Parts: sequence; C-alpha cells; structure tokens
Amino acid sequence: MTRQLKIAAIIFLAVSALGFLDATYLTIEHYRGSIPPCTIKGCEIVLTSEHAKIAGIPVALLGSLYYLTLLILSIAYLDSKKNATIRLASYFTIAGFTASLYFVYLMLFVIKEICQYCLVSATTSTLLFIAGMYLIIKTRHGSDGVKN
Amino acid sequence: MAKHYIILWGSVGVAIIVLVLGLIYFGGKSDESSNIISGEPRQVTALDWVRGDITAKVTIIEYSDFQCPACGAYYPVIKRLEEKFGSQIAVGYRHFPLTQIHQSAELAATAAEAAGRQGKFWEMHDLLFENQKTWSTNSDVKEIFIGYAKQLQLNEGQFINDLAAKDLREKISASYKEGVSLGITGTPTFFLNGRKLSAPRTYDEFEKIISEKLNQ
Repeated sequence: MTRQLKIAAIIFLAVSALGFLDATYLTIEHYRGSIPPCTIKGCEIVLTSEHAKIAGIPVALLGSLYYLTLLILSIAYLDSKKNATIRLASYFTIAGFTASLYFVYLMLFVIKEICQYCLVSATTSTLLFIAGMYLIIKTRHGSDGVKN
Repeated sequence: MAKHYIILWGSVGVAIIVLVLGLIYFGGKSDESSNIISGEPRQVTALDWVRGDITAKVTIIEYSDFQCPACGAYYPVIKRLEEKFGSQIAVGYRHFPLTQIHQSAELAATAAEAAGRQGKFWEMHDLLFENQKTWSTNSDVKEIFIGYAKQLQLNEGQFINDLAAKDLREKISASYKEGVSLGITGTPTFFLNGRKLSAPRTYDEFEKIISEKLNQ
C-alpha cells in the first residue's frame, strides 16, 4: 500500500463513517416516531413521501447499510492491505453515487422539497465515488494479492 | 492472527453499537423544542364540530388534515378514546389542510363540511379517514366523495353544489389561518384543555393523559 493509497483509504473510511452517522440517524427517526406527523417543513415531506421507501424498506436504512459496508471494507483494507477489498468497496460507490443522483432528482423535481440530511448523504456518496474512482485507477496495475 | 482479528473487529463492532445507541439517545430530543406554540386555541363552541359533551371537563381539539397519513393513523386512536370516555370528554375537529403537500386535502375538508350541512359531518369524517388510502392516490377524487355522499344518503345535488360553496372554503381557510396563528406547522396537532399535547404516540399514553386530567 503506497502512502497515497493509504490516505485515500482513510478518507474513504472517514467519509463512509459520516454517511453512516447521517443515514443511521434518519433510520432511527423513521422507526422511532411510529406516527410521523405531516408538516409543511421540507425534511418531513421528503422523509414521509412515498419515495422514502423502496418495497417497504426505508431508503435511510438502505443508505445506512451501504455506508456500513463501505466502512467495514475500508477498515478491512487498511488492516489486510488487500487491494481486492478496496476495489470492491470502490465499485459499490458507483451504485451509491447513481442512487444519490436519482434521489436528488426526486427531491428537486418530484417532491420539490429539500431535506438537508439527504443532501449530506448525497455529498458523502459523491465524495466516496470520487475517492472510489481514484482507488480503482491507482490499484489497477497492482496485483490483487497481498502486496502492491 | 485470530486474536488480532478479534480485537480489531470487536472494537469496530463496539464502536458502531455505541454510535447507534448514542444516536438513539440524543437524536430524538430536538423534536419537542421545534414545536413552539404561540397561543391558546379558542374554546370549543357550538359552531365547532364536536363529539362528546361540550361541557365536559376534558376538551380535546384536533387540528387535522383528512389526507395526512398521521391523522389517519390517529383516527382509530381517537375513536377508541371517544368510546372509552364517552360524555366525559369533548373532541373537536378543526381543519388544517396542508394543501402544499396534499392536493385533495381541501376538497376532502369541503366534502366533510358539505356533509355537515346535511347533518352528517362525522359520518363523512369517518368515511374519509377509513378510506384515506383509496382516495388519496386517486385522480378522480370528487367522484369518490360523491359516492360517499350517496352511501350516507345525502342529497346528491346539494352535496355537489356545496363542494363548490365559497363560504365552506372560507370556513376551512379561516380554520387553517387560525392554526397558523397558533404556530401549528403540522398535523395532527392536539390541544387538551387549551394546551398543546406533544403528540402521544400510543393509545395507552393518550388514555393516561386524559384519565389524569379527569381525576384532577
């Protein structure tokens, strides 16, 4: 693992921790209030809209699991130094980034309300995508084994 | 080697659990303070829609929106409370349609008022909440409401006229404005003897609050 890769992986770790915190907070809020009130403030509208769930599963929970996976993979990489681990995590960020683009589109053009917590998540997933692309390129030529 | 993994992933696991518990503990506390109410609602009068005894010791006023899922979820709770306490309490319904997010909320409120003109406000109120999921997502909501009017054996022609009645819309809008002036931002908002309740989450919680008031 070169110095740059290590820094990138640490950034990756920190950003996924932030994303995990944000998404988990929303997941807890989702399950805490058994009856979320209807309000004219933005976040509640977004979080209680029909788009806040996919097949009955809250989007926040999916986000939470996504960030948790990345968090675990980046710790595993920093520990084991296996490129395959961070490459797998980096490929996940493509899906995360695409999902975020879709959710931002929903917020701006369909629900037409802004939820700041969702914007935080969109930012973290964008940063993870950038870090992920960097890691994919940097680890391309190294063997996928123990050493780089 | 195995020991190393246990320590690493054990501490990661513990850190995540602490984090989640911390969020659970500290997360919910901001809710209450964001709900600042700036006044006391006016007393329930004969002009309001009230179930129970208007002179009862405990009066609950609900600012509500027929299309709000939360109000729909509270509907059976309130109904059970009314059955339990009967004439010991009065429950008043006031309109607070969130028209920005619920496109049929105002028409639903008008439908209830129009039914009220024919003496069946509460019957329509019940039908609207019981079938909320059906009409909320339907584009031909007016036809559905006319269907409910028929079901309640209302005079159809008059009901249709009243759906467009200006004074009913004004009544609803006055109720909404009253709510806004009280600082209400969402529905349902309950007032118990003029004081805002920070929405009890279960039937039992609600029942306990009322029982305590009755015993005071």
